[in-house]
Amino acid sequence: MRVPLPQLFTAFLYIGLTAFGGGGTAHIYELMVVRRGWLSEREFLETTAVCRVLPGPVFANLAAHLGARLGGALGGLVALAGVLLPGSSLMLLLSLAYFRFGAQPGSSAEGALSGVAAAAIGLVLATMLRQVRVGLDSLKAILLALAVFVTYGLLHWSLLLVLLLTVPVGVALYWQEAE
Amino acid sequence: MSEGLEVFFTFLRLGLVSFGGGMANLPEMARVLIAKGWVTPQQFADGFAMGQFVPGPNMLAVVFYGLSACGPVGAVAAALGMFLPGATGAILLVHGWEWMARARWSRALRMALVPVSMGLSASMLLVLIELGLDSLWGLALVGLATLLIYRGANILAIMLAGGVLGLAFTWLR
Repeated sequence: MRVPLPQLFTAFLYIGLTAFGGGGTAHIYELMVVRRGWLSEREFLETTAVCRVLPGPVFANLAAHLGARLGGALGGLVALAGVLLPGSSLMLLLSLAYFRFGAQPGSSAEGALSGVAAAAIGLVLATMLRQVRVGLDSLKAILLALAVFVTYGLLHWSLLLVLLLTVPVGVALYWQEAE
Repeated sequence: MSEGLEVFFTFLRLGLVSFGGGMANLPEMARVLIAKGWVTPQQFADGFAMGQFVPGPNMLAVVFYGLSACGPVGAVAAALGMFLPGATGAILLVHGWEWMARARWSRALRMALVPVSMGLSASMLLVLIELGLDSLWGLALVGLATLLIYRGANILAIMLAGGVLGLAFTWLR
């Protein structure tokens, strides 16, 4: 399947404009598979899995990958630009306002932001709670998660070091199951 | 310009190791950016909160951090550094994704990344609590938001409600 670049750009721009509150993958699925039919369900699931192995947000990686699949390397860049442009422009405007007008301790802006920050902590916690049953389903999973938390969260080791130590161990632990 | 390059390479380094989805590299990002003096702990938390409001990846908070480090050039440099490594890999994977999707090592890697990213998320939670939670009232709000989102409430609506409640609380005090 080959899609012209302008069409590719507007499709991903639309996703970038409407994907509020995380869950970008679901938005991409909706447009690419359900509405436009540019990809089959199976292709989508397999590519999403592959994009999880790459660094960075799955959302942006998936956009770049699908763009490249549908329109070549340039298509990948076009898709990434489309998906990031609305959010980053809005973020830039918000940030400029923040630094221009300042958010002094005790001000209304700071109060509102601390409320949002609390809600955002709730989002992270709720997402984790949802994943616990599937994600921590065995002793090795619990030990692996605990090892990462202790070294990275409590002991403040560098992320690279933590990953270099835990990921190979994890791959070895799951090697048997991955057949 | 050299300052822009420093911002770019700092975020490139963070972008290269941000495995495990979401904002797994947030704790390290907080440590690095605060140590460099680009943001205060308060500003880091505020930037993260603002990232919840924009469409697209939450990671767009890096635009805020880049802007704080050295103006609009920094904002662009931070976004490029953060998103380019993964996107480049994703574009190159147009060749070989079928093999990747089925190869045994990549299946084992994906299975291993699930508990690893749980550990990363827990670390991220700890940093967010350290940076942004300083009252009993905030704790109650976290509990409420967790419950509602867990039960399937609209995320953007909860973020907006958090902002409104925060505002109301400041005025009442």
